[in-house]
Amino acid sequence: MLIYIAKRMWQSLILAFIMSLIVFMGMFVVGDPVEMLADEDFTEQDKIDLAIELGLDKPLYEQYFTFAGNILQGDFGVSYVHNRPVLELIIERLPATLEIALLAMFIGLSIGIPMGIYSGIKSSSKPSRLISFLTTVGYSIPNFWQALLLILVFAVFLKWLPASGRGDTNPLFGIEWSLLSIDGLRHMALPAINLAIYKICMQTRLAKSGTQEVLYQEYMTFARAKGISKQRIIRRHLLRNILIPIVTITGLEVGGLIAFSTVTETVFAWPGIGKLLLDSIHMVDRPVVVAYLILITLMFVFINFVVDVLYAILDPRIRYQK
Amino acid sequence: MMNSSILLEINNLSVSYPLAKQEDEDDAVDFFALKNISITVNAGQIVGVVGESGAGKSTIGKAILGLLDPRAVVNSGQILMQNKDLLSSTESALETLRGRQIGYIYQNPMTALNPVLTIGEQVIEAIEANTDMAGAKAKAYAIKLLQQADVSMAEDRLSKYPHQLSGGLCQRIVFAIAIAAKPQLIIADEPTTALDVTVQKSVLETLLKLSRRNNVAVILITHDMGVVAEMCEYLYVLRHGQHVEQAPTATLINHPKHAYSQALMASVPRIEKRIERFVLPQAEQATIANAALEYLLDKQVDTDVAEVPVLEVKRLAKIFTTPASLFKPKQDFCAVKDVSFQVHKGETVGIVGESGSGKSTIGRLILGLHEITEGQVIYRGQNLATLTDPKDRRDLCLSMQCIFQDPYSSLNPRMTAGENITYGLKVHGLIGAHQAKRLAQDLMQLVGLQPLDSDKMPNAFSGGERQRIGIARALGYKPDFIFCDEPTSALDVSVQAELLNLLKDLQQQLDLTLLFVSHDLAVIRQMCDRVIVMKDGEALEQGDNDAIFEQPQHPYTKQLLSSMPRLTQLQ
Amino acid sequence: MPMSTIKRMSNILWHQYKTIFAHYPLALMGLVGVGLFILVALLAPWIAPQNPYDLMTLDIMDGLLPPMSKLGTGTTAWLGTDAVGRDILSTVMYGLRISLFVAFSAVIVGTILGVLLGLLAALKGGWIETIIMRAVDLKVSFPGILLALMLLAMFGTGVDKVIYALIIGTWASKARLTRSSALSEMQKEYIDAARLAGLANWRIMLRFLLPNSIAPVLVMLPMSLSGAIGAEATLSFLGVGVPITEPSLGLLIANGNDYLLSGKWWISIVPGLVLVALVLCINVVADRIREHNNPFLQPRG
Repeated sequence: MLIYIAKRMWQSLILAFIMSLIVFMGMFVVGDPVEMLADEDFTEQDKIDLAIELGLDKPLYEQYFTFAGNILQGDFGVSYVHNRPVLELIIERLPATLEIALLAMFIGLSIGIPMGIYSGIKSSSKPSRLISFLTTVGYSIPNFWQALLLILVFAVFLKWLPASGRGDTNPLFGIEWSLLSIDGLRHMALPAINLAIYKICMQTRLAKSGTQEVLYQEYMTFARAKGISKQRIIRRHLLRNILIPIVTITGLEVGGLIAFSTVTETVFAWPGIGKLLLDSIHMVDRPVVVAYLILITLMFVFINFVVDVLYAILDPRIRYQK
Repeated sequence: MMNSSILLEINNLSVSYPLAKQEDEDDAVDFFALKNISITVNAGQIVGVVGESGAGKSTIGKAILGLLDPRAVVNSGQILMQNKDLLSSTESALETLRGRQIGYIYQNPMTALNPVLTIGEQVIEAIEANTDMAGAKAKAYAIKLLQQADVSMAEDRLSKYPHQLSGGLCQRIVFAIAIAAKPQLIIADEPTTALDVTVQKSVLETLLKLSRRNNVAVILITHDMGVVAEMCEYLYVLRHGQHVEQAPTATLINHPKHAYSQALMASVPRIEKRIERFVLPQAEQATIANAALEYLLDKQVDTDVAEVPVLEVKRLAKIFTTPASLFKPKQDFCAVKDVSFQVHKGETVGIVGESGSGKSTIGRLILGLHEITEGQVIYRGQNLATLTDPKDRRDLCLSMQCIFQDPYSSLNPRMTAGENITYGLKVHGLIGAHQAKRLAQDLMQLVGLQPLDSDKMPNAFSGGERQRIGIARALGYKPDFIFCDEPTSALDVSVQAELLNLLKDLQQQLDLTLLFVSHDLAVIRQMCDRVIVMKDGEALEQGDNDAIFEQPQHPYTKQLLSSMPRLTQLQ
Repeated sequence: MPMSTIKRMSNILWHQYKTIFAHYPLALMGLVGVGLFILVALLAPWIAPQNPYDLMTLDIMDGLLPPMSKLGTGTTAWLGTDAVGRDILSTVMYGLRISLFVAFSAVIVGTILGVLLGLLAALKGGWIETIIMRAVDLKVSFPGILLALMLLAMFGTGVDKVIYALIIGTWASKARLTRSSALSEMQKEYIDAARLAGLANWRIMLRFLLPNSIAPVLVMLPMSLSGAIGAEATLSFLGVGVPITEPSLGLLIANGNDYLLSGKWWISIVPGLVLVALVLCINVVADRIREHNNPFLQPRG
């Protein structure tokens, strides 16, 4: 088990290294930062000076080491637009993204998994057919358009919930959370629901297909032949097995959620890192884009690592592999 | 001590699977898995239900326990367990019955046990569900059960997961679960099919012991005549879901009355004596003049090499290496160790061994499908590894062919039967497209298939027919040497007999040289002139057929032979 | 190709169609819907009431008219007009054309690329496999939409750039799927038989491996298509997708977004409904095909 974890950790480090290399190549080699920074009245000499100032005259690997070294020291540069350290900007906005992503995930898991298991077990019943049609519909509505509809219905016509912004926040551990105030929760409702609908559909399908797969395994029939009650079989034999794919995909989907929050945050003007990213892309605020990418990458690498470890805890076939 | 009271009685049971009407509207006839089957089991009696695939054997076991597929429909009949009808019982009544009164043993122990629960959890779960015991008492009882089922280091095994144990051990654990609540009846569905013959013997002995000790009746469902001959007192023969014959075991095996039972008995390869051909009712030797024969016999014979052996294997060894990684040193697995033998023109050499003995690996090394680690393969006087001229090499390689084990994976499913047979020949320009069609048909006829079926796709053929197509494909290259890799192990015994007869006929007519690999001693006994016995990659013993089977020298050979279930032990 | 092969293929297709769609009215409706959408997209220049990108035909006076209004030219704008007086019905037809073109190109190229790389990885093994599969892992661990955003941020926008970004989003899962099914096919004995027949590697790959390991990828294709349509719409909506001169459905929705709150709902809602209907039709078909190919749902015995 320890060897397995060490191995995964090692692989994660390599992954992080390659990712940072790709980001570096993508952002620093493709496109010329000098051209981007230079004003129209820059002379050739000014440009050369600027290049030297930015360290672009050094060999590529040296530039990479400087780049990686700065990042390791937590120095992601300064935003062109906001004129503040990038890391500060991102950390400031991270809680907003995390709280809607986690809320959406919580809703998705707590509705999706029971619904999926139910429709997997009773796959030919009427409710199950309805569920599977609804998940298809939920899957088919593009996230951004669904957001527009939610605004139109709940904010414009019914005027029940606010359409944009984060509302009041209350501090916990020195961080401001919308979750902790009524007004904040009202503001969270629409973006979180928007994200959660997709999540629910995803989890339902996953739990359903996992259930059906496990249901037809011989050990399920054998468990019945052993004289064990149906409830117990579902609790023990079924759940333990379908947990494995659910945990894996859920973990990987944390990334998906954060990616999709870009869209949701934009539509609902939710001040999280997704909106920051999109604004920065539009305003060519490169340090922010690079920092976002690097941090997201590290986060993915970390999530993948955690998922792998969970996977091993849940599946003895991996835990005890020689 | 025989208690002759009736324990279980099945009367006129019919089970069908209604075909979904949408598939083909025309022939939507319900498929009957069982038709009017009646079986009686006395307390403590071991009853065998035998039949080939599609006989509906497993459906009986599932019907008794109420575990039929939801689509299955019981059309008629009764299943009386101590005069209580199980078919009309409620699910909760069946739940109490399962495990308590009737235990069940599955064919494949590895899939019957839940991979993510420990052995202990699974055994104790059954104990708690079916007895009054719980907690520490249940655990102590679980250990006792495992010991009764001859599981070594019983206490230690409780914390293990199924994938950490061998198939034989897993099956013993399934036994322990089945007998946990001291049921009166155990249904054993092909309990040893997934196991090696030496393991099979000891597992069956355990089953027999458990049955005797607790006076448990057993319904043993199997295709293996040898197993029922050793285990059962009374036999039922089924075919296509219908009753064929029933009688005490000795009577049925020695004097079958029904034509099908007679054919079945004639098909079972015997280990005691080598015979020319299997005496099958409708079998006649395929000596029809055939255009394919002309094609096959038309090849240059190198007279000068007629003296040397067709194939010579010298000190062959194969090591599979798992490459090293940061956390694991490289691991070697020696599949074949220092094996040498010769195969002469026109003879059949057999290699026999259990799974993991390296017998198939040898064939693959000879054919060049694996790289040789050490040693040499000399074919028709030439060392293939040192042959450089591409054309010579190709010709030599093409004259070595293989008949594969699994009929369902040995043909390209996206090519017609004919294409499968002649595709390679056409690619190499050995025959033209026009001839190819003709040749495919001729070869199909030669191996006993309808020539016009060469346009059909592989999925239109049965397993036995596919093996015949595989043989036709191998023959197309006019091979001097054919490696037969367990060619009949996936087939029913009657189909096996027909196929083995075909191979013998073809060998006679075409003077083929065969290397025949099998785990089945009886098949080797019938097919081979000389025999090599292998275990763990080593050739333990080789010699003439009679010598090996009548005066085995090596202890392992003796053990193998004594593990083989025999039909004759009854007499 | 000989006649007999064509006939056999069409028989197989017909049989497939029958077993998949007959008795499943919902899926059949989806299939018909997809067909109609494709037809409209193909024929848009001929059947649209107006060429919305021909500035000569536009009149700013016709701007922001609600559905069923009469235009200056005398024709009726059944679904209203946008800010510069374009007929919404026409813009949607043209938008459909662009959305489908982008999605189809990306999925087809991405799939071919993925399948070939997957086969190559399976057949060659060694370092080739390691590199391909590591690249796949890298890609799969990163959400597609984010990746596309980054690429478009780096390389700029445009129809071709969107297609590239979507190709990069598509190939990896196909490569992984193809490789795993090709690896299990490679265990089968007919591959050994092909080797014994002395066939070249490329022949084994194309004639033996490809036709037998492509099925799972084909089953996934409709899903990928609807995914690509959605992704393109999202990117265009966010303003990093197709240019304003070639608006897809996503961009049309974004254009109407500003008018949504002022009650001019049709500019945004109509292309949105069409987009949802299109994706839904494809997904219904995709679900049915997946269900049909799921071994755990097949009748057994």
